[in-house]
Amino acid sequence: MRTISFMEALNEGLREEMRRDPSVYMLGLGVHWSGRRPSVTAGLIEEFGEGRVRSTPLSEAAVAGSCVGAALAGMRPVAQFSLADFVFCALDEILCKAGKWRYTHGANGGMTLPIVFLETIGGYISGASEHSQSPLGLYMHAPGLKIAVPTTPYDAKGLLKTAIRDDNPVVFFQHKRLMGSQGPVPEDDYSVPFGVAEVRREGRDVTVVATSYMVTLALRAASSLEEQGVDVEVIDPLTLEPLDTEAIVRSVRKTGRLVVVDEDTERCGVGAEIATQVVERAFEALKAPVQRVGNPNLPVPYSRPLERAVLPSQEKIEEAIRRTLAA
Amino acid sequence: MELSNQQLLAIYTNMVRSRAFEELVISIMPEGKIPGGWMSGVGQEGAVGALSTLREDDYITYTHRGAYYFICRGSDPGRILAELYGKRTGYCRGKGGRHLADVAHKLFGKSGTIGGHAPIAVGLATAVQIRGEDAVVMSFFGDGASNRGTTHESMNLASVWKLPLVWVCENNRYAGLTPVSMSTAVEDIADLAGSYSIPGRSVDGNDLLAVYEAAQEAVARARAGDGPSLLELKTYRIREFAEGGWFPTGYRDPDEVEAWKQRDPIDRFRAALLSRGVLTEELVREIQEQAEAEMQSAQQFAEESEFPPAEEAFADLYA
Repeated sequence: MRTISFMEALNEGLREEMRRDPSVYMLGLGVHWSGRRPSVTAGLIEEFGEGRVRSTPLSEAAVAGSCVGAALAGMRPVAQFSLADFVFCALDEILCKAGKWRYTHGANGGMTLPIVFLETIGGYISGASEHSQSPLGLYMHAPGLKIAVPTTPYDAKGLLKTAIRDDNPVVFFQHKRLMGSQGPVPEDDYSVPFGVAEVRREGRDVTVVATSYMVTLALRAASSLEEQGVDVEVIDPLTLEPLDTEAIVRSVRKTGRLVVVDEDTERCGVGAEIATQVVERAFEALKAPVQRVGNPNLPVPYSRPLERAVLPSQEKIEEAIRRTLAA
Repeated sequence: MELSNQQLLAIYTNMVRSRAFEELVISIMPEGKIPGGWMSGVGQEGAVGALSTLREDDYITYTHRGAYYFICRGSDPGRILAELYGKRTGYCRGKGGRHLADVAHKLFGKSGTIGGHAPIAVGLATAVQIRGEDAVVMSFFGDGASNRGTTHESMNLASVWKLPLVWVCENNRYAGLTPVSMSTAVEDIADLAGSYSIPGRSVDGNDLLAVYEAAQEAVARARAGDGPSLLELKTYRIREFAEGGWFPTGYRDPDEVEAWKQRDPIDRFRAALLSRGVLTEELVREIQEQAEAEMQSAQQFAEESEFPPAEEAFADLYA
């Protein structure tokens, strides 16, 4: 199987879906420019024209809200935002319009909102507080959205195709540190379903649940601990809504120990939600308290040593695993 | 521009039906059957002039105030009222209340935030443009919404993309209890148009024919592919901000309210049609009675409809 980058995988997924369905169109900053390759939008305007590849002004609220209108009128918009940090400007449109519109209107006329919002997340780039966020918890907290968080190029293309074909609004998070990563991607048509977690590594002693770039760190921690005789199982949910809680619970029933890793402010975050769901469903299976690895309740700072102190790391994951074993 | 007698009567009838619906809702309010309340558009029915320029396949977005949008587009008053009651037979199955949708009549729903419609209108128009259709989108908003960032972003974007859009600002002089003179830098909201390189016109919003004529020009422009326009209707909110007495009152000069009552758009249009011989006193009575009877049936339908069962709270989140 050929190996391509995460970014190329997204580009392929988008192109294939735009060929397949004329109602799919995309919009975002700078999408008219294919000068830098690879990019998520390379070659699209040349193939599909200005009508379906729309370069936008710096107007996140109008761009996001326009996706709601276009979807209601029968199109399938894919909006590319740059950093998730900037999308706070459009949260009314995404959380309250896109997420809640169908429900509030009783699905009148069978209305659907097939929208994909692409956002880039993640730190480790000395981006400081407003260029480093991974606000997954905020979106998971809002009813009516679906959330996809690919880890490999294979997931990226497969989840994007599912997202575009889904009749609901999907928020799709791509991590800055993964965009250049390479991986095997089939040439034929395939998609990755929502709500099915991937077991990235099988193990017996502890379950580590991680998404996106945290999977990379968790796998490094698992390799390192293997040498010390600790067998770590790494579960990657791939989608936070729908969430494959069953897969996580199955794993915890096997291992009895749970660590949740989340590159987001820990308080009220994805890790907190997953931990609580497991406690609710499989309390008796737990041999130790659940451990969370996430950012403390702080903005992400700029200087490298400060950023390291705040963001998750392989070492912090190993420490959390050790804490579940010591209990 | 020449409207036939039949068309003039149809427009007048829609104004009367809109008012009759509102008066019914206002009369029901003390019974406590409309839990979410009502925000009355009585006195603002000049907007029917703009609505009347549209084809069935055109789109609109609408404000939280008044009933004329739905009445003019052909929605069933019984299902509107049932929705306000929170009944299962309402347009939104009781999930939305005032946030009405009637997709069959190109009414796609209502934003709970003021100014939320502007981006949605841009999206509706984008869909039309991509598909190469010649429908237009008419987006209604108030003086309050004119100050939101979403309005400015959307007006810019619609102009840059030359979307088939008509922006209609119903400047009723107050956003809540804040007069427009206190909130808005321009005297005429139509003057915002220059910032977006689009035509802007300000008209007497209570003169039905003036509204019709200005809207017709803007709609033709949009339909021809020449891009958006901004139309300002200078009008007035005759009743209080909300029915039910929960919003502050007493912040307006009673003389101001009275002066605007004398400029009622329905009274003026009726007088014009009577003087032209398009209406007779008998026809006026007939139209009024028919409208009231229609609204009474609507009330009966709403009263007799059932509430949704609790389990339905869990339906319709995802497709």
